[in-house]
Amino acid sequence: MKAVAFAAVTSLVLLFVWERVDIVRLGYHIERLKAQKVLLERERDELQVKLSGLTAPERIARLASDKLGMMQPEKGQVVVVNIEPEAPANPIAAEGEVRIARNMVPRRVR
Amino acid sequence: MAGAPLRGRRIVVACGLVLAFVLVIVRLVNLQVMQAAALTVKADRQHQKNVTLEGARGTIYDRNSKVLAMNMDVPSVFGVPASLGNPVAAARNLSPILHVKATELEKKLKQERHFVWLARKLDPEQGRRLERLGLEGVGVVMEGRRFYPKGPLLSHVLGFAGMDDRGLEGVELRYDQYLRGEKRAVVLQRDALGRAVFPKGLNEEGAAAGHSLTLTIDEVIQYIAEKELDEAVSRANAKSGTLIAMDPKTGAVLAMAVSPRFDPNTVGALAPDRWRNRALTDTYEPGSTMKSVIAAAALEEKVMTPGSMIYGENGQLAIANTVIHDHERAGWMTFAQMIQKSSNIGAAKVGMALGEWRVYDYLKEFGFGDKTGIDLPGEIAGLLRGPRQWGKRSLASISMGQEVGVTPLQMVTAVSAIANGGVLMKPYVVSEIRNAKGQLVAQTMPQAKRRVISADTARTLTTLLEGVVTGGTGGKAAIPGFRVAGKTGTAQKVDPRTGKYSSTLLVGSFLGYVPAEDPRLAMIVVIDEPRGEGWGGVVAAPVFRRVGEQVLNYLGVAVDEPVKLAMATVES
Repeated sequence: MKAVAFAAVTSLVLLFVWERVDIVRLGYHIERLKAQKVLLERERDELQVKLSGLTAPERIARLASDKLGMMQPEKGQVVVVNIEPEAPANPIAAEGEVRIARNMVPRRVR
Repeated sequence: MAGAPLRGRRIVVACGLVLAFVLVIVRLVNLQVMQAAALTVKADRQHQKNVTLEGARGTIYDRNSKVLAMNMDVPSVFGVPASLGNPVAAARNLSPILHVKATELEKKLKQERHFVWLARKLDPEQGRRLERLGLEGVGVVMEGRRFYPKGPLLSHVLGFAGMDDRGLEGVELRYDQYLRGEKRAVVLQRDALGRAVFPKGLNEEGAAAGHSLTLTIDEVIQYIAEKELDEAVSRANAKSGTLIAMDPKTGAVLAMAVSPRFDPNTVGALAPDRWRNRALTDTYEPGSTMKSVIAAAALEEKVMTPGSMIYGENGQLAIANTVIHDHERAGWMTFAQMIQKSSNIGAAKVGMALGEWRVYDYLKEFGFGDKTGIDLPGEIAGLLRGPRQWGKRSLASISMGQEVGVTPLQMVTAVSAIANGGVLMKPYVVSEIRNAKGQLVAQTMPQAKRRVISADTARTLTTLLEGVVTGGTGGKAAIPGFRVAGKTGTAQKVDPRTGKYSSTLLVGSFLGYVPAEDPRLAMIVVIDEPRGEGWGGVVAAPVFRRVGEQVLNYLGVAVDEPVKLAMATVES
């Protein structure tokens, strides 16, 4: 009986000590994870700022014209028209509005 | 007999133990009860650390959730001169990374201080290079820095935040209380080495970031507006330019551009004049664009119909010892032709037919002389004096857009009322405020101030303003495939040297909306002090066309009149 009581008390003490130690260990673990989270958030923000700068319309327009040789459509080259729903000319373009772009093909120089 | 000394020893040991326990208990009572309060404070000071956390400043998005301004933690570098072995070598190593002269750094590092800032809020890459350098006596702390990733785009509206993360201009200033991050004091537990273990309450969260704002501005429309305005200002060699694009049905501002622009990332060296949002802080005399408002009053009051005849006095009309001129000498003309040709004499006569008080009341109704109430700082009310303060020529002058000071924002708000069928809307730039968790905190709904003219009057006036573009002074604002309604304006500025109207200092403007039948875009273009030909129809109307064409295309607005398509021809 005494042995059982002793074992029970010892177990409780050990459980208490283990619990305290584990709390401290988890505390350190949480702090490590928090620090990691902060670093990842910082990286995310840095990438977000970079992405936002890289997708700036001014930059895209500059790249389109300088690198790809694209240009603004001339007056009247892009016409947006409403397609009547009862007579869709093209089933894919049946919904709402469709854009028609016409290229001004430059005259060929002989 | 041997039991007696044994018992004596037992008693001695027992007494010793009891005494020892008593001493322990006394000490315990002394520590736990008598000195409890003082010792608790001392212990807390050793293993607790009070830290004030400040959440990041909120992000600003455009109407399509594109980031326009956001905070990021960046490195700030400090030195501990006492821990530095060789300040000269340290300064030499730090100089190329911090972009600060080595002599300056050396001076700082030789100071007899425990802590000295070397450089603040650097780029993350500079921080990484410093880490690789691993200098003893040089440390890095992270601080929040405001970034405007699109550079100068929308700078006059966004404004900027200062080094201490407080808004100083524009939306940053007006919505500072929402954007500012939460400040929270947190208690951290420290171990024997001084490392943070965890806050007292495990569930305690860090300080929340500030609210985020969603603007009504569209970054693509803003880009188109800025690009075309900058080009026009540069082409005309003008002092400055302003362009506002608005959704006339809601009052939502789609773009607000001021030229020249500035980069809010590097605002430190600029004069305050560069970041002033002239669209709402500066007044100008609108000139003939004001005739659209006078015409609205005349039609609404049934003083005029489109067919009413007005005599043009062959281009000269004497009023109060002065002479009003028209650039085209005209005889009899209809009210519609008066608008189309922008006759000053016709406008003066219409004003006189309305009378002083009706002209004043309508200008007031259209919002002149009062702030529009836009959610941006620094707006002024403009200048509109009451009829009692008017001189003999004032009625005629005001009817043709002189003797009255307006902001470009007031003008575009007024023309939006004509465009949307007669209702004056309150302009706004912030549509939504959300907290750090993304929950909606506030939402701005379109706000109608009052009806200023009937829908019938607005429709009739639209037809007259279309005439300005199809056969009048605003021909260069015409957009193929769309019916454009608008009015040109060319106002003389007062020469500060002579105090009189100058013949060379002009303000050219164009005010209009498109498509005329169901407007999606109301816009004003103001070019201040263009050199050479300064007519509104020459310097401002083409900007309206170029911006309008691109924006309608971007918004996917269908044409509202037949278009002649240019067919391609290929010669073999």
